[in-house]
Amino acid sequence: MAMPKVINIQSDLDIVAARMAARDMAKAMGFGAIDQARIATAISELARNIYLYAGEGTVTVSEVQQGIRKGLEVICDDQGPGIEDISLVMTDGYTTSKGMGMGMPGARRLMDDFEIISIVGEGTKITCRKWKR
Amino acid sequence: MDIINIPILKIEDFLIASIQVALYDMQAIQFKDAVLQKIYDSKAKGVIIDLTATDVLDSFVGRLISDIAAMARLMGTTVVITGLQPAVAITLVELGLELPGVTTALNLEKGIAKLRQITEKNADGNA
Ligand SMILES: Nc1ncnc2c1ncn2[C@@H]1O[C@H](COP(=O)(O)OP(=O)(O)O)[C@@H](O)[C@H]1O
Ligand SMILES: [Mg+2]
Repeated sequence: MAMPKVINIQSDLDIVAARMAARDMAKAMGFGAIDQARIATAISELARNIYLYAGEGTVTVSEVQQGIRKGLEVICDDQGPGIEDISLVMTDGYTTSKGMGMGMPGARRLMDDFEIISIVGEGTKITCRKWKR
Repeated sequence: MDIINIPILKIEDFLIASIQVALYDMQAIQFKDAVLQKIYDSKAKGVIIDLTATDVLDSFVGRLISDIAAMARLMGTTVVITGLQPAVAITLVELGLELPGVTTALNLEKGIAKLRQITEKNADGNA
């Protein structure tokens, strides 16, 4: 199993680094081209959110195993302002920054599992996974 | 700060920009500004943005592409996006971005044919 990879997110350069790390691991694990694109795009959205809304944080990419199935797990962690209403930010088009408001709901559609833990004033942790078919 | 280096070529009345590397957000914004300035300076009738080498298109860049197309239209110029990889097209739709108002073509050759068709039709309409 590949070693987990931690990418510190502090600038827009790190957004590209995070998605490349996720794509490289997905490719090494044998995910197909479409799943690689799904994973890289979801991570790009979540890493940008860290940069935009929390200022900094980390993205950790790792290989996980559950029974016989293998998956790629991405944990996005920040100590930013947190999210007050999670169902609201998961709505298509909702944005507080004149963005497209598609990052969170889009990332959820692109990944298989998607969990958010967020505490206002403390930060946000998003764990998402893609399983190999 | 990084300055982008995406050549924007002029061939006949058209501009062609081919994105070959992953763009950071700042570079993507610079690219938008550079394309619009070049449209103005060159009086191009059409622009092709070729994304054959692009393997990730998220909502930030997707929005910039829609913006370039809308702004170019206001300047009287048509933008055609070419070469979207299947994985990128699938991901864009699943993400929830269908790039409304953006004209696309399968590859550079078809993109040029499409631009010719659109600009000739516009010229007829104005005559
Ligand atoms: N890590 C985060 N910390 C705090 N707020 C966040 C975070 N990620 C997303 N949000 C909030 O969720 C909203 C929706 O995010 P998203 O769907 O990515 O759309 P956009 O980034 O275009 O606004 C953001 O506008 C922001 O208010
Ligand atoms: Mg976002």
